[in-house]
Amino acid sequence: MKGVLLKDFYIAKSNILVTIVSLIVLGFGLSFLLETSALLILAPVASTTAVFISITSDAGSKWNKNVITMPVSRNQIISEKFIFYILLAVVGLITALIPCIVLMLAGADITVHSLCLYAAIGMSATLLAGGISLPCAYLFDPEKSQIVFMMSFMASTGIIVGLVLLTNLFIPVKNNILLAFNIVLVISGVCFFISYRIAVAVYQNRDIV
Amino acid sequence: MNNALIISGLTKTYKDFVLDNVSFSVPSGSIVGLIGENGAGKSTTINAALGIIQKEDGYVSVFGKDELDNETKEQTGVVFDGSNYPEILSPKKINQIMKNIYGSWDEQAYFRLLKQFSLPLDKQIKQLSKGMKMKLAISVALSHHSKLLILDEATSGLDPVIRDDILDMLLDFVQDEEHSILVSSHITSDLEKIADYIVFIHEGKVVFSKPKDELIEQYGVIKCGAAQFDALDKSDIITYRKMDYEWQILVSERDKMQKKYPKALIVPATIDEIMLLYVKGER
Repeated sequence: MKGVLLKDFYIAKSNILVTIVSLIVLGFGLSFLLETSALLILAPVASTTAVFISITSDAGSKWNKNVITMPVSRNQIISEKFIFYILLAVVGLITALIPCIVLMLAGADITVHSLCLYAAIGMSATLLAGGISLPCAYLFDPEKSQIVFMMSFMASTGIIVGLVLLTNLFIPVKNNILLAFNIVLVISGVCFFISYRIAVAVYQNRDIV
Repeated sequence: MNNALIISGLTKTYKDFVLDNVSFSVPSGSIVGLIGENGAGKSTTINAALGIIQKEDGYVSVFGKDELDNETKEQTGVVFDGSNYPEILSPKKINQIMKNIYGSWDEQAYFRLLKQFSLPLDKQIKQLSKGMKMKLAISVALSHHSKLLILDEATSGLDPVIRDDILDMLLDFVQDEEHSILVSSHITSDLEKIADYIVFIHEGKVVFSKPKDELIEQYGVIKCGAAQFDALDKSDIITYRKMDYEWQILVSERDKMQKKYPKALIVPATIDEIMLLYVKGER
């Protein structure tokens, strides 16, 4: 699986670098206009677009067919994409944290509470969007995976709103906003894991063309 | 004789095509050529044997194992039509990737093959010619101590010089008696040069699976006119085709037929002719 992960890294390397630089520049740039920590909402999901570049590349080059003949199981092929997705999300989060922490140390009005809150929202949206779009990329046309990803990101924001409203029935969200979004994050993580299991099961008996 | 690959009763149904009960084997130390026109089922057979598509019925055994596990895959090199590697990669990066995929990856052998084929290390695959891409794919397939090579239309679209290079390499590979090759191609002249056995697939079914020498030495084409055709014993005819000025009749026992029909012009059949007469001829 390490080799397949390395292949995806080579494919997405330039995209990852551009994303990292953009996030850092955007982070410092935003500080003049609004709270930099809000970048944490977009950073993880923006970083994961590289996964869909690799999925499209795999389909276009027929790597999907080639890799099946290598000592890599179908389970590992799917696992690798989900791991790559999480890794990129974490890289995006850490990258966005850099300007936040620098500005916080420089005296900007950024609190740990707001960092945790925006990070939880960002990661929830990323996990939900990935949970929807990654299996879809293998179930349907991989060439359209990037469009599916954008649509699933929009859907994930709706799901988050729904989950927050649901949480509000049991816990008053206004007073426990961080707790509420941490619950949403846990639910999103569970959804991502279920989605991974579904993708593995579907891919197991799928004809690769 | 041990078989490196056994395919038995392989069946796969599509909406408009059926791979029907395909059976043949690849003996160790031999080259088996899988021939047939485009869409005959060659790639479907290989894909089903490799687990790329799910078979509905049948049995595939590689090195005596009926499961294509990682150990078996380590010993099997596969080359498709096209490089099937992301175009952004370079041969050097492929080495890094394969090093982490194949436990038996032989870096030195890989670089030696790249040098032998004059392939650049740092050029992206998209900058390579089709011939170079094929040579790269073959280099990868040969760099993890494969004992079985499976090539699906790997020489299609290549010029004769590069095809000849590749055929030489395949012949070299099979010098080791433990090594075997299954090669599908519709360029029958290539297989005539290197194959020990020929498996002919037509409309998803195996028409015959025979040693190449038997085909070349025993099959013949009678070229005659209508009167001579009418005089032939129809049970001697495998298949026939009416051309503009003559009839072409495929027979399986050339010498016997020559004795039976001394006035007939019977020429040795090439694999191309055998395939054409089977596909286009009448029975």
